[in-house]
Amino acid sequence: MTDLDISRAWLVDPAAGREGPGDIVVRDGVLESVVWLEGEDASGVDDRGVIVAPGFVDLHAHFREPGNEDAETIATGMAAAAHGGFTTVCVMPNTAPALDDPAVLARVAAAREASSSPIRVLAFGSVSAGRGGETLAALGELADAGVIGFSDDGSPVTSGPLLRNALAYAGALGLPIVEHPEDAALTAGAEMSDGFVATVLGLRGWPAAAEEAAVARDLALLADVVRDVPAARLHLTHVSTAGALELVRRAKAAGLPVTCDVTPHHLALTDEWVAGSRRWAWEASGNPWDDGAITDAPYSSALRVNPPLRSVADAAACREALLDGTADAVASDHAPHTPVDKDVEFGLAANGISGIETALGVLLAAVDAGLVSLGQAVEALTVGPARVIGSAWGADQQPGLVEGSPADLVVFDRSESWTVTAQTLASKGKNTPLLGRALSGRVLATIAAGRLVYEAGAD
Amino acid sequence: MSGRHIMTAEEIRRATIRISHEIVEKQAGTSGLALVGIQRRGVPLARRIAASIAENESVDVPVGALDITFYRDDLSLVAQQPVVKGTDLPFDLNGSTIVLVDDVLYTGRTIRAAMDALVDFGRPQAIRLAVLVDRGHRELPIRADHVGKNVPTSREEIVRVHLAEIDDEDAVLIDRVEVREPEAEPVA
Amino acid sequence: MTVPPAAEISTPADDAPVVVPSVDAAPETQAVAWRHRHLLDLDVVSWPEIELVMRTTDAMREVLERPIAKVPALRGRNVTILFYEASTRTRVSFEVAAKNLSADVVNIAAATSSVSKGESLVDTVRTVEALGAELLVIRHAVSGAPYLAAETFSGSVINGGDGWHAHPTQALLDLYTMRAHLPGGSVEGRKVVILGDVLHSRVARSNIWSLTAAGADLWLCGPATLLRGFEAWAGRGAAAGRRFHVTSSVDEALRDADVVMALRIQRERMASGLLPSLREYAARYGLSAARLALARPGALVMHPGPMNEGVEISPDVAAGTQSLITEQVTNGVAVRMALLYLLAGTRPGDAA
Repeated sequence: MTDLDISRAWLVDPAAGREGPGDIVVRDGVLESVVWLEGEDASGVDDRGVIVAPGFVDLHAHFREPGNEDAETIATGMAAAAHGGFTTVCVMPNTAPALDDPAVLARVAAAREASSSPIRVLAFGSVSAGRGGETLAALGELADAGVIGFSDDGSPVTSGPLLRNALAYAGALGLPIVEHPEDAALTAGAEMSDGFVATVLGLRGWPAAAEEAAVARDLALLADVVRDVPAARLHLTHVSTAGALELVRRAKAAGLPVTCDVTPHHLALTDEWVAGSRRWAWEASGNPWDDGAITDAPYSSALRVNPPLRSVADAAACREALLDGTADAVASDHAPHTPVDKDVEFGLAANGISGIETALGVLLAAVDAGLVSLGQAVEALTVGPARVIGSAWGADQQPGLVEGSPADLVVFDRSESWTVTAQTLASKGKNTPLLGRALSGRVLATIAAGRLVYEAGAD
Repeated sequence: MSGRHIMTAEEIRRATIRISHEIVEKQAGTSGLALVGIQRRGVPLARRIAASIAENESVDVPVGALDITFYRDDLSLVAQQPVVKGTDLPFDLNGSTIVLVDDVLYTGRTIRAAMDALVDFGRPQAIRLAVLVDRGHRELPIRADHVGKNVPTSREEIVRVHLAEIDDEDAVLIDRVEVREPEAEPVA
Repeated sequence: MTVPPAAEISTPADDAPVVVPSVDAAPETQAVAWRHRHLLDLDVVSWPEIELVMRTTDAMREVLERPIAKVPALRGRNVTILFYEASTRTRVSFEVAAKNLSADVVNIAAATSSVSKGESLVDTVRTVEALGAELLVIRHAVSGAPYLAAETFSGSVINGGDGWHAHPTQALLDLYTMRAHLPGGSVEGRKVVILGDVLHSRVARSNIWSLTAAGADLWLCGPATLLRGFEAWAGRGAAAGRRFHVTSSVDEALRDADVVMALRIQRERMASGLLPSLREYAARYGLSAARLALARPGALVMHPGPMNEGVEISPDVAAGTQSLITEQVTNGVAVRMALLYLLAGTRPGDAA
């Protein structure tokens, strides 16, 4: 159990809706005291230095175990989470075998125990048996075994009837369906976002319509199910287009029980990175050939991801959705891959970005640019995801800085940066387009359930 | 530009005339003779020699131009001098006596490349060499049959030939080489 | 033995193809040097550099006309040709070009090599490098593959065509061919039309870069489904001042055109629902004699090959007096000789 004293830092407590200068004391793993500084004591402390926040919650990560341990294991995934400031991670069931029955869930639990890390690993069960998209998985048994929801992520649930049934069944169990919205017929063979950059690079385009059409269908089905099963809940994950976000906005306004998350890479990177540009979405014009923005070789397979990096307008819509609450959370969609699967031709590379360790740094870049406030960023990584998880969260309260509770914190310094390299990444997955880049907001310490799981060393 | 004159326009004119007489003398006439100037300044020199022969012998000896860019033994110079100025040999080489003409003879590598190029076009009976300036420092066993002027030089010096057809004046100048990367030195 | 009468160095007539440059007129100021270690696409090649390639190609055309069409420029250098996509004409063209420069040529057709056993591109490139490759010519079905090869390979990579993305040597030989036949030797201001399956065409994309750099009045034309995405590019220009036109009206495109380049239509396009039938395409977009008559008299007809005669181009037009299709092939060898020569002269420190 850990002891930690931090004084004159900037504390962020999203549960209480409060932030400001303060001191915290952790004794024997318990958050013993949280003191908010006022007046004279508070002067000189601002939100640009050391920040203390509740441990982050990742709604969407892939830890590849069982089945693809070369890419990541539960243990290495948890180490990566800790480095990224996350103390709770929700893993997706697209393992091999898929997480479609309690026996597989038990393997995940066993791996978690064996790592002896206190980081919370929550699991989604799959919607369909074997993620085959045809029949329902053992939803009830999985619920009893402790999954926090159901998803066929990696793939959409293509069958309308199956999704409708799943929404109803899961709703009755009090758990959400997490849907990966994609019209697979429209995205067959697609390599990067449809648009100007794809045309010039000669890559098969991924139309925005494929996401919007899928979201429209999913919302229509939800509206249908809610009439009979008011507890039904839908969470749309990694929404990336302005059109789809607008549909979610209107659905929420109409009172539908839908939530969604956006990824850090969708709000900060754009399709022009595939052409070799490396500027943030809010600095980009959409035409990298015109203004000398191209600094790197094109076709880097680290940029191949599903959903693909989109246009400048779509990235702006993701940020807008965070600000107005349309997006409830930021989730990393951490997708580690081995070099065998990634160091190949762009069109043959596996989809996915290893992002759990860079999520904070990318979000802080948007904060530095004045597009998102620090408080909103922390909310998106803490209370936002916890609300989506809902009752399955298990704790009595939302993530916050509550005296007397087991310490669950992240401490990071906005004035310090760190460089993303294969050595500094704890994940086995080095497939990130941010390799070589310096990100601000270096994590100094992460404490989960009262124990120190990460401390900045000499990296 | 700076540099000492080592041949004036008048000296160049006299040397050219003398060379043209020597060529005819060695051939005991003009039969079978053809002049091939090496790009770039060997070409106008070859024309002048041919004009002088025409004046004295009333015979027009064929004149061709040879670009040895693709026959150099050093590809690292491609970046400096990538493009060719043109090869044109409008006569049959077989059985003829070719007199190669160049402005400066230095290491001999240009002449070696020129001979390689010539034999790709046909089989001359003989190949001879006429140069305006021989500055020594041969790296290959090559010698000129006809020399305008022998100029002993050191490797830190550079010899430049100016011809009115290209440079608006006739002169031969010698200068110190500035300290530069090796590839800046001319191929000669 | 008689010697033919003295001949002055020939200078080309004003309207004849510029094959052997005038030896007096060539400027001494060779300020442009080729500094790209690879030739992957024409987006990074400047107009002066393109002109340098044109001049070097002139010299290589002259070499091709000699009794022994060979020079020792690349003697002792290894050129390895690695084609992942079947192609006879381009592969052989590169081989002939390399041999004309006296290079040692290794020709690998991937279907018969270890690639078909699942060897990765990176491993294959490392292997050919270990076997002595210094210049690597690569053709691949996946866009961007040559960039991956260039990252791995320590010599020079020439893109022989990647997916839909680029075919830089084709665009350069197309430009060379046009300039050889247009008055003034320039495409500036000339109406050049690329007609056909633009969407899937790497030839079209590379030609967009070179022809807009050359200042041509460029038009892309085809059925709307095969032009998807190009309207956005045309309007923006993908670089200052490099706009072009896109239209699905073949009459508008061909009217008063100086050059018409037809692209091949593949059968797969019907299967993916992009076109109703080849017959309909031929009827509405095929380059027939009647359609060619809309263009300027004497307009140049070109095609990168291989042709589907009767579909995108009628046989009489393909074989007609305005057709430069076979000359494109000869020019292809000369352009590739020029590029192999220029790339062989680059050093490791040069820009990619």
